[in-house]
Amino acid sequence: MTCYETLFVVKPTLTDEETATQIAKIKEIVANNGGELLATNDMGMRKLAYQVEKNNRGYYTVLFYKAEGTLIQELERNLKINEDVIKFLTIKYVKQKELAQFNKLVEAANEKAEPVVETAPVAEETTPVAESTEA
Amino acid sequence: MAERRKFKKRFCKYCEQKVDFIDYKDLASLKFSLSERFKIMPRRLTGNCKRHQELVTVAIKRARQTALIPYIVDRKNVVENPFENVR
Repeated sequence: MTCYETLFVVKPTLTDEETATQIAKIKEIVANNGGELLATNDMGMRKLAYQVEKNNRGYYTVLFYKAEGTLIQELERNLKINEDVIKFLTIKYVKQKELAQFNKLVEAANEKAEPVVETAPVAEETTPVAESTEA
Repeated sequence: MAERRKFKKRFCKYCEQKVDFIDYKDLASLKFSLSERFKIMPRRLTGNCKRHQELVTVAIKRARQTALIPYIVDRKNVVENPFENVR
């Protein structure tokens, strides 16, 4: 299992509900392919630094997750097909220093979210660690 | 020889703060190494050490890919307020 971070930008023309369903869809892909979502950072609607497909704004979301490498192919394939996603970027965290920062980012993202949401990912985080030590 | 030095000795800002990793989403920390026109500032001007300059470069290029920072700022496609997100 490797730590990954995926940032994607959803079109600004969608309604709030549609944006939420798009984000849920992408989270589902991560969950269905054996990925383990650690945190979500909702950066919200932002102005883009340059026009992308004639859009001046975009809805930014960042997902932090642990997964096998094969998930990335599947996820990026889906992001490419999806016409409502205008930008995406996946980053892999491998080195010790990077991992330390990754954990910090996950914590920061969880703190930003509601406290109810915060407890759930932490519980998920602890269980697989125990599994891996047993195996 | 030390007396002949023309410029103030520069220190790597990131080394001083013991930064191990630069997040591309943290625009405030990237701004230090960007020029007014969002070019990457050379090491000789910022005083960054080689290791941190490499980290900064990667972070800036990632930020550009995700449209957080413009690739170029020119007269043809004027960005109304390029520093809005950065500040």
